[in-house]
Amino acid sequence: MKQDSQQFYDDDIVTRLVQFSLLWAVVAMFVGVYLSAELLWPDLDFGQFWLSFGRLRPLHTNGIIFGFGISALMATAFYSVQRTSHAPLFMPKLAWFVAYAWQVVVLLGGLSLLAGWTSSKEYAELEWPFDIAITLLWVCFGLVFFGTIARRKIKPIYISNWFYGGLIIVIAMLHIVNNLALPVSIDKSYSLYAGAQDAVVQWWYGHNAVGFLLTGGFLGMMYYFLPKITGQAIWSYRLSVVAFWAFTYSYIWAGPHHLHFNSIPDWVQSLAMVMSLILLAPSWATMINGIMTVSKSSAKLHNNPALKFIVLSLAFYGLATFEGPMMAIKSVNVVSHFTDWTIGHVHSGALGWNAMITYGVFYYLVPRLAGRELHSLRLANIHFWMALSGTLLYILSMWAAGVSQGLLWLSIDGLGQLSYSFNDVMASMKPYYGLRLVAGMIFLSGTLLMTFNLLMTLKGQPSVKVRPPAVATSSGVTV
Amino acid sequence: MTGNLFLNMLFHPSKVFEDLSDENADTMAVIRRYSLLIMLLPPIFSWLGGSQLGWRLGGSEPVFFDTTGSIVFSFFYFFILCVGFLGTVTISKWMATTYGAKISLSLHLCLFTVICTPLVTASLAHLYPDVFFNALVLVPALIWSTTLLYKGLPVALGISPEQGLLMGSSLVAWLLVAAVSLLGLCVSLWTHGAGTLLGL
Repeated sequence: MKQDSQQFYDDDIVTRLVQFSLLWAVVAMFVGVYLSAELLWPDLDFGQFWLSFGRLRPLHTNGIIFGFGISALMATAFYSVQRTSHAPLFMPKLAWFVAYAWQVVVLLGGLSLLAGWTSSKEYAELEWPFDIAITLLWVCFGLVFFGTIARRKIKPIYISNWFYGGLIIVIAMLHIVNNLALPVSIDKSYSLYAGAQDAVVQWWYGHNAVGFLLTGGFLGMMYYFLPKITGQAIWSYRLSVVAFWAFTYSYIWAGPHHLHFNSIPDWVQSLAMVMSLILLAPSWATMINGIMTVSKSSAKLHNNPALKFIVLSLAFYGLATFEGPMMAIKSVNVVSHFTDWTIGHVHSGALGWNAMITYGVFYYLVPRLAGRELHSLRLANIHFWMALSGTLLYILSMWAAGVSQGLLWLSIDGLGQLSYSFNDVMASMKPYYGLRLVAGMIFLSGTLLMTFNLLMTLKGQPSVKVRPPAVATSSGVTV
Repeated sequence: MTGNLFLNMLFHPSKVFEDLSDENADTMAVIRRYSLLIMLLPPIFSWLGGSQLGWRLGGSEPVFFDTTGSIVFSFFYFFILCVGFLGTVTISKWMATTYGAKISLSLHLCLFTVICTPLVTASLAHLYPDVFFNALVLVPALIWSTTLLYKGLPVALGISPEQGLLMGSSLVAWLLVAAVSLLGLCVSLWTHGAGTLLGL
């Protein structure tokens, strides 16, 4: 059996997962733009059920989360865990299986949503056959990841692996518990939970999927790639570890803030509000750690689109993690709940944080995987400004729409009657939805530019072969 | 710092940034002549529009404020703008140490006067107080001001474009957080009985 140092890192899998992630980004963002057009012109469904808002919306969210997001997380987890362990992937054939089978599940799952199969649970709409498939593949993903860590040549486990590990363990727990259901046919099952309990479990899942996947997983990305790109060690490693445990402890309690003023006990709502406010501390500790790491790097930014995107993603991470706890305050939530302010908040995270940090990492990763310069630096710089303006326009239009909706829906006249009908209010939203459509088109166009740029960079190039370092000292310091 | 400074701030900001980078620039003149003035414009336009035409929030009937209400509203608007402006200047001065930029307070005051000039000029839209019309005018102005932020920081504060981009992004983070805080504060005040009558 060959020694690890004589083998190469398994980077072909990483390249393929990046390509899949790009594909899903384009598809799912196009569906998002189409949905925003449907809100302006409902006839765009052409009377077809599969084109209706109710079926396309979960396709958009699942495509982004499971297709774009998780493919990117698998790619970066596989890339970074090898380098931080100085060992190739454990069971590489299983890793290949996970990479391809995951795409099949996303594709078939997406088609099932279009066909109307749904559990009706937000971000967990896929029916039981897909839930089982996801569980099995997730266990395989965990096996490859933790197996690689187990055969590491460096004693400490680097902080990015803590976040990726947290992602794998917590998402497995959330996915299994929330999707426990009684199947009645191939396309229908009923949740084991009933009524308010179902709602509490669902938002325990929903909020922590945001927490441990869209936040924790992508923080894993940041902690590995930011020091690599800047050439600087993390500003405070101790702070990163403290923030990890504080984040893990406080996030898990915050889910019921999605159920403010609903039929769950008031104390549960208040507890969720308090824990959401506490969550600000670890979130901002991480942001400050990232920004201070970047601030020590002076000359690395020139012609470096990767770092530009990551710096900007930290700014939006700061916004989203401040806005979330603020919206969990009940006196704010009473206005913001069920309005487009929530949609704006989600997209400040999804576009500003998740997409931008992924784009930054891809701009760093792809030239290294291909062993050549980025195809076009100019396109990457244009993409940066398109992503920034698209995200800002999206957020601002949804802030304006959301606050207007909240105020108009709650406005009463002197007799205590509602001042505006629901129809009036929604009719007045069209201009904002128009702005949102423009914002989405700008962001999608930027993503298309990046996809073209990265695919041209990869075109015809096999992945560069990299060996793990030959010598590692027993103290963990590599030479 | 010659010619009509206001027009230069609007149409030739790069020249103003270069002038500001000069050690001998008369920054106090900019502060005396413009900083306070531009803070007054949005509340005045808002007061005129709100009292004469009424705010259209998207519903059918415009919302009018009485004389006292509109004066109080405009005063708070002015107060919030001043707090936001001075807060941003203070944060910028604080960040300047980290990024190796010039830390003169008057320079930072001047710089942000230039940066927010397109935005306060666009507040002319308040004269026609329709929420969507205002969003349509103010959002491009905001993007213009953001561009000035990124372009102006390295020139005026004497740092590399790379450091300028880092500092600019950190300030964008602060501005976004400040904006959403203001939104949250207003909503909290409304739900506690200030302003419009809500059925809570």
